[in-house]
Amino acid sequence: MSTAPRAVAATPLPRPSSRANRFRRRQGWVVGVALLLGVLVFWRYSQIPAFGPFEIRGIVAGTMTLALLAMAQTVIVISGGIDLSVGAMMVLSNCIAARLMLDQDLGPVVLIALGVVAVAMLLSGLIGLVAVVSGVPDIVVTLAASFILAGLALVVLEGPGGGTHPRFQELMVGGFDQPLPSLLWLAGVLLLVWVPFKRSRLGIATYAVGSDRAAAFLSGVRVGRTRVVAYVLAGFFSGMAGVVTTAFTGSGEPRASIGATATLTSVAAVVLGGVALMGGSGTLLGPVLAAFCLSLIPPLMLGLGWDPNYAEVARGIIIIVVVMIGGLVQVPRRSR
Amino acid sequence: MSAVTAEPAVRDWRQTLVERPAIALTGVLVVLYLVTATQAPGMLTLNGVRSTLLLACPLAVLAASQTLCMLTGGIDLSTVMTANFAAYVAANQSGRGPVVALGLALLVGAAVGTVNGIGVGVFKVNPLIMTLGMASVLLGVVTVGLVGDGFLSGSTRLLPVLRTVASGTLIGPIPNNLVVWALLAAALIFGLARTGLGRCIYAVGDNPVACRLAGVRIWQVLFAVYLMSALLAALAGLLFSGISGSVGPDQTNAYLLPSVAAAVIGGTSILGGVGGYTGTILGALILTVLTRLLLALDTTEAFRQILYGLIVLALAWVYVRVTGQRGSG
Repeated sequence: MSTAPRAVAATPLPRPSSRANRFRRRQGWVVGVALLLGVLVFWRYSQIPAFGPFEIRGIVAGTMTLALLAMAQTVIVISGGIDLSVGAMMVLSNCIAARLMLDQDLGPVVLIALGVVAVAMLLSGLIGLVAVVSGVPDIVVTLAASFILAGLALVVLEGPGGGTHPRFQELMVGGFDQPLPSLLWLAGVLLLVWVPFKRSRLGIATYAVGSDRAAAFLSGVRVGRTRVVAYVLAGFFSGMAGVVTTAFTGSGEPRASIGATATLTSVAAVVLGGVALMGGSGTLLGPVLAAFCLSLIPPLMLGLGWDPNYAEVARGIIIIVVVMIGGLVQVPRRSR
Repeated sequence: MSAVTAEPAVRDWRQTLVERPAIALTGVLVVLYLVTATQAPGMLTLNGVRSTLLLACPLAVLAASQTLCMLTGGIDLSTVMTANFAAYVAANQSGRGPVVALGLALLVGAAVGTVNGIGVGVFKVNPLIMTLGMASVLLGVVTVGLVGDGFLSGSTRLLPVLRTVASGTLIGPIPNNLVVWALLAAALIFGLARTGLGRCIYAVGDNPVACRLAGVRIWQVLFAVYLMSALLAALAGLLFSGISGSVGPDQTNAYLLPSVAAAVIGGTSILGGVGGYTGTILGALILTVLTRLLLALDTTEAFRQILYGLIVLALAWVYVRVTGQRGSG
């Protein structure tokens, strides 16, 4: 089709790459992370004599918060930025939810959860708006925002406290040995929120803005609006992470260091998930799988009889080594 | 935009501010200091000045790390963990004399800096990730070292010399650590402006491609920057332990974000190539006075944090507005 001779064709059209090639290029990393996760889960399975629903529930429910934060961070990274306030947003949502949900019935609790997510979207959008309007680099804006959000969390809840409805906990993170709710929530968020967004005009615009802001602007993409939308979506994910934390722990915890650690781990998950920090590429699935890999490391260490504190060391080394290997593999793709 | 209608005098005024951000920052510092003095009259005494300088010093040294890295377009998130680790090593080895103890502490910095520098310079790992991973590794090492009878356990005896240098007073309002800081600042300001490496640091941050084409060995520049950054961090850790009189596995962690903020407020672009240490010094002083002001306001920790964030944001916003230095990332 494209081989038909053209009178004015000065340069030959690029040959479309084969399906397999395209899949390898686009999804190769995600498949790699999935394989790694498979190996880790199998390893853990072989460590425990009775690996059952209880263990799976523990892993899935314990990782959900990090997975959601990784999603939030990924959206911002794809749009070409970085958000150092996702962890603080999670802590704030956790505190609001825990404070309001205490001693409420299931109905109001669900409404509160929705409200908390809406507030997180609003606040995150506001942060994005400030970053866009002020022209201050977003790393600085979100850094300052993380202080503000952590302070707000302390206003909402002075110390650990609050609560939620036990039925709501089961609904979000499953009971004692029921991993299904967590898995369904994660899959639901990916399939019902992310996939439609990615395919929409806004989603494509987000990738375009992250890939090359100037080119996107010249192509008629509203750069500012697109970036703010990315922040709103990130707010949805981190707000949900806060609600999930409330359901998982059954309380609120306003400690700022939790947010800071969570933010840094979310960046690690994004990078391990194969999303380039330069923006414009990547999927949400990779970071989610990477989040599971990261949170499997401490229990694995424990199973080996090592001091679980080495998990931090292992985590750091894995992040660095994976990125190094990734850099060596991907050098031809983006040479700057 | 408004330059067309602006009067020449106004434009000159703006131009001066753009070229000499230190003037505006000094203004902010003086105003902030006076405002703080209305809330805490102790600020106007010699002791008030002294404590401000004393507390600003470790922050300014940590911010020097960030300034160097940010000038090349990077960032170093491992500084605080390096600082904690170095302080521990110095306290742990204090029985073997100050020279050995301080040497080992700086060796920690050199080791961390070497690994960071190789990762960022040679393997071209994103600095954010490289130093984040390094921070994880160091956190693990320190935690493991403290458990039971690990290699860091029982590190409570601080070097007397650290106490003297970090919290003693030289004369009047001048603490001893100001001497260290002043020497460091002079070396950094001179080095960045006048030496080949200094110019290369700006050039690499400004345009790495042009640098490569011009024959600059970028990896050497980056290696040097991350090595210096980690050494400065180790020094900051030592100074901090001298002030606080103790060591702790996370005692400087709260300084990470303020150290980045100090560099940003001081006009160093996080995108690289623009800025310098003069601004960072003022940024560190501004943040220290700001912390003091918020403490004097007699409000809750929560509102202190909110105000801190808002003011940092406002300062950065005003700075970008005044200088027209719009970031795109």
